[in-house]
Amino acid sequence: MTDWSAAETVLVVRRVMRVPRERVFAAWLDPAALARFMCPGPVTGATAEVDARVGGRFRIVMRHARAGGEHWGEYLAIEPPSRLEFTWISANTDLRPTVVTIELNEHAEGTELVLTHRRLPAGQVEAHRSGWTDIVRKVEESLAG
Amino acid sequence: MRLNTSGEAAGGSGLDLVYGAIADPTRRAILGALARGEAKVGTLAERFPISFNGVSKHVKVLERAGLLHRTVRGREHWLRLRPEPLREAARWLSHYRAFWNVRLDALEALLVTDAARSRSRAARPKGAGGR
Repeated sequence: MTDWSAAETVLVVRRVMRVPRERVFAAWLDPAALARFMCPGPVTGATAEVDARVGGRFRIVMRHARAGGEHWGEYLAIEPPSRLEFTWISANTDLRPTVVTIELNEHAEGTELVLTHRRLPAGQVEAHRSGWTDIVRKVEESLAG
Repeated sequence: MRLNTSGEAAGGSGLDLVYGAIADPTRRAILGALARGEAKVGTLAERFPISFNGVSKHVKVLERAGLLHRTVRGREHWLRLRPEPLREAARWLSHYRAFWNVRLDALEALLVTDAARSRSRAARPKGAGGR
């Protein structure tokens, strides 16, 4: 089976957390918290530097055996407690800017976090949003048919 | 660059060529048409409200990005979709799906632990003298 489902430029991850959204929001801009939650698993430790203002930058370095532990970007929107947007660059984005949006919605159990990660070819965001999924759907149909 | 590991669509600008190629609505439509099967350049051109030369230019851009394969049979040029570069371009996404899931697990664990800790601190008496 062809793995066409992965052929998107937008990744969305949703999560419900039993924590008020103010706290969830604050964790994303707190270097100490970032250093903790950005270093699970094989990462032996992480450091984070944060300049928490629109246009400000962050840098997270994850230490592990493999290379590619450095991530950095710039804050595009800081709207507590509901929305945070930043560029995200690393070896895993081919050193090209991607955009991560964190949306925090009130939820009966606490906070619904919606993380959207977009790959942005320079100046082609809109074209992509509408375009890519169409092609994939058509190709998928043709493979199925 | 690091992500590019497969063949002709790779090399420093491979992914940029792919993204650039599919950014245009006509080129996406051409790919969509070819998703239904191989087609002659001429037949393809008839389906689009632009000149043969216009279609031909778009086809060249798609070929450069490695998204089309051209076969010449006699005087006819046939085009076939090559989906591999699209998959290559999408590889970052599967990496980050796993990455964010693990990080969000860790974030949740951290926040829940800290919340429990501050609750237990609040519940503890502040000392004999305090009011």
